[in-house]
Parts: sequence; C-alpha cells; structure tokens
Amino acid sequence: MAQFTITVKNVSKNFGKVCAVRGLSFEVEANTCFGLLGPNGAGKTTMMKIIYGKCTFDNTNGTTIDVFGYNPAKDELSIKYLSGVVPQDDNLDDELNVYQNLRIYARFYALSAQQADERIGQLLDFLELSEKRTASIKQLSGGMKRRLIIARALLNNPKLLILDEPTTGLDPQVRHLIWDKLRQLKKQGTTILLTTHYMEEAFALCDEILIMDKGKGVMEGTPAELLESNIEKFVLELAGSHTINEMKDSSIRIDRSEETTRLYSNDADRLKDLAAQLEGAHYYLRQTNLEDVFLKATGRGLNE
Amino acid sequence: MKNSGAYSYPPLSHRLFGVWFRHMRVYTQNIFSNGLPPFLEPLLFLAGVGLGLGKYITQSMEGLSYIEFLGTGLLMTSAMFTASFECTFGTFIRLEFEKVYDGMLAAPLTANNLIIGEMLWAGTKGLFFSFAVLCILAIFGIVSLPKCLLAPLVGFLTGLMFSTLALLVTSFVKTINHFNFYFTGFISPMFFFSGVVFPISNLPAYVRPVAEIIPLTHSVRLVRAVCVHQYPPHLLLDLLYIGAFTLLVGFFAVKRLKKRLVF
Repeated sequence: MAQFTITVKNVSKNFGKVCAVRGLSFEVEANTCFGLLGPNGAGKTTMMKIIYGKCTFDNTNGTTIDVFGYNPAKDELSIKYLSGVVPQDDNLDDELNVYQNLRIYARFYALSAQQADERIGQLLDFLELSEKRTASIKQLSGGMKRRLIIARALLNNPKLLILDEPTTGLDPQVRHLIWDKLRQLKKQGTTILLTTHYMEEAFALCDEILIMDKGKGVMEGTPAELLESNIEKFVLELAGSHTINEMKDSSIRIDRSEETTRLYSNDADRLKDLAAQLEGAHYYLRQTNLEDVFLKATGRGLNE
Repeated sequence: MKNSGAYSYPPLSHRLFGVWFRHMRVYTQNIFSNGLPPFLEPLLFLAGVGLGLGKYITQSMEGLSYIEFLGTGLLMTSAMFTASFECTFGTFIRLEFEKVYDGMLAAPLTANNLIIGEMLWAGTKGLFFSFAVLCILAIFGIVSLPKCLLAPLVGFLTGLMFSTLALLVTSFVKTINHFNFYFTGFISPMFFFSGVVFPISNLPAYVRPVAEIIPLTHSVRLVRAVCVHQYPPHLLLDLLYIGAFTLLVGFFAVKRLKKRLVF
C-alpha cells in the first residue's frame, strides 16, 4: 500500500469574503514529487502555507490535514522540523553573508556548531555556492539567492521539501540546475511538493499534478495521463484571427484568442491538409503539451 | 536534541534563543555604526548640561545635583527609545518589507516564539543602551560604581516593557508612517513627564496622576533608587507596575500580532 506524506481532505480557507481554497482534497505519496499548478490567485500558495502552519484553515466538518501524521493546527513544530520550505519571495538577511544566513537557521534546528558547519559545507557544495561562502547577499544574482534559499530549506535534511515557484524569474541554466538537484533529492527519498506556472517544469519534475483554479482542484493525474485524457494530440496554431468557418468535421476543436486561432485534433494529417489550404498564412503544427491542458482547464481569461 | 529514531523539535528555551540570536547576529554585524551611538548620545547630553544648562540649575532635585538627576534619568530613556524603535520600525520592516518572519516561520518556531523572542531582544538592547549610559556616567564620576551596576538590569526590564507596547502598536499599524504618531504623541512626551528632566512632584497636582500612569515614571524611580542605593518599600509598587504592564500588554501584543504572522 502506498504511504502518504500529506493527506488533505476537503480543506477550505476564506480571507474575509475572499475564498482562497474551496473544498480541496489531494494526497501526496511518500518519495514522489507532487505539483500544484494553477493561475495566479488559484490558491496554490495558501494551500502550501496551510500545510506547514503558516496559514490557518477553516474548520468545517470533514476537514482533515495530515502531514507525517501531524495536524498543522496542533503540531506545526513537528511538521516544520521535518520539512524545508522555499517561499515565493527571497527573504534572506541582507546584512549577513551567505554562511551567516545559513548559520542562524541552523540554530533554529538546534544543530551543534560542528554539525552546522559540516552541513553548511555540504549544502553549499551541493548547490554550487561554495565560492560564495563569504559573499554578501547583495552580491548574489537572483539564481544564487534562490539556490541559497533552497540550501537553507535543506539544513535539517527535510523529509518533505515545499517549494513555492522555485524557478520563477530565473534563466534556463539555473532552472535546469535546480531541477537536477530536486531530482537528486527525490532519489534520496525526499518528498517534494511544489507550485509552478511553468508547464515544462511540472512535466520535468512531477509524478502527480493537480491543476487548481479559483481555489478548487480541476484536474489531477500524472503528466502523461493529463495529456492523454484531456487534450487532443496535435494543435495547429494560426497567426491572426482567422475567420475559419465552423468545422463540419467534429474531430477538430477550435479555440480562438485575439491574435491566434488554435485547431486541436488527434489527426495530424487532417490538420496538415487544413494548413495547406490556407495559402500564405503563418501556421505552426505541433504536439499538444501541458500548457494546452492548463489553458483548457483554467480558461483563457486573466485571473486577476 | 534528537532522540534515537524519534524526531523532536528544539525545546522552547532553544527556540527563543534562536530568535534572539538572529537579532543579535544582525545587530552586531555592523557593530561600529550600531554600537557607538549609544555611548555618544549621553555624552552629548551631559556635555550640554555640564557646560551650559547646568549652571542655571543650582537647586537640588530629590537630593541630587542636576547632572546626577538627569544622568540617572537618561539610563531609562535610552532603554525606552531603543526598545520602542526596535519593535515599531524594526519589527514592521522585518514583517512587511524584508519578509524575514516568513522565512523564520518555516523553521520550527511558532509565531508566539517569534514575538516573545523579539521582546527579549528589545530587553537586551535596553540593557545594552543603559549600560552605555552607565559607562559615560561612571567615567565622569556622576554615579559611583559598583553599586549602580544593577542599573542595566532595570534597563532590561524597561526595554522589555516598552517592547510590549511597541509591538501592540505595530499590530495595528498599516503603513510605517503611522509610527510617527506614537513617537510624537506618546514616547517623546514621556521624556518630560516622567521625572527624567525634573521631578514629577513639581508638576501641577492635576497632572501628577498622569505621571503615575505612564510607564517610564516607574522605571526612572526604580533606577534612581538603584543608583543612590536606597530602597524604600514603595519601590515594590513600581516593580509591580512594570511586571503587570509587561504581562498584560505583552499578552495582547502577542495575541494581535500573531494574527499578522499566521492568518
């Protein structure tokens, strides 16, 4: 039987009149990477904060949250001791250098001076920051700061690593480096819970994905399942707002946005024929990806 | 801390110490710019009084020369100001701008640990600042060592007491500029109406009860007693006031500020 690190059942959270999470349920299996996806304001961050006790949740009938067998409302310290958190904002101490930033956090976990030094050395090595050991935070690039925050989250060898948009705003090199490190951690037995806007990131890392919209879960599955059961295999993207008449062919689905028309179908040849008929038009025929699933699940409208 | 096989988070004392240590580490990072002014400020004050103002004030105040009277009062105002700044502007910046607490609350610390650690740190700054004043007073022979070595401890209590009030105010404040009201409206007036600059017995009878209500009066009374080494029994009331104020206001400060940390 699968062992679950996190079990969330029917969790809701209201901030005054704003409902951030509504009746969300999901389970995270131990030693897997679970991704929460969704547009801005979908409730991903709130859900993560609930898990480590940074946010409270509404106590309604049938609500359960279980993290390592602990309830965040009662045993936040036990959960925090076993978890590492990488928050969305960089919140390093600017006055301190790289080593000192980690050192003050080592104290929060009651590591002895020797343990702390040893662990900090390992982590700086692991995240390729050893050369920056005595650098001040202001000298670090965005990617280095992110890596340092990940190192900080790993100080106590967490069993669960919670990452809120860990690679937002970073260049592809750093992103791939972080992905590699996260894969290594998973191999070593760390359970990972992450939020992201990047579909490729979710595809690259996650064993299971939950797409959220307006506080609710709208789709869940492995990346492959989500693609297979929710979206056609191919898409033909046409630049400009084409006035393609309604398709007689029911095997093609049309999705229009202002400047692009997208034709979805499982039949690539059918789309090729169609493209050939549109002489001179810019088109791009490709396989569908998670982003198409995401847009289908959460709609094209802005969620602001 | 780790038992074999079982995981347990650090005990309360360790968690509070962790928070305190974080603040101490950041403060001492710029030891020169942070550590020197507390010594310079009383120096300037006493120079102003000693070289100028003092010549006009020949009357003794509560049995002390004016420079003794003011000097011992400064032991407490320095503690009050530093704790108040630390837990208004300092706390607000950590809370809203630097997001320091967001990171700390992901470590095994509760919001309560964090807030109480904050108070203990403000108390420590109170201790250090009154120690700095004490050094200057001792150098100029205004107070005599070693009997006033207890004064920084009163500075600790004063810092602790004012930190609770400052944190309570911070829990209400939405923009950092609102603190100006607190300082202009409450902290600065206290400098004049709590027996630091002149004895409150000289205040008009209808103002005197006000002086008894405000916290600094009690700190000042306590520290003067320490400096002259005379302990009349009514000092117990001052001590009781400081204790009750700290506990009561501290309780509400924790309760309210917690809602801004975990919501």
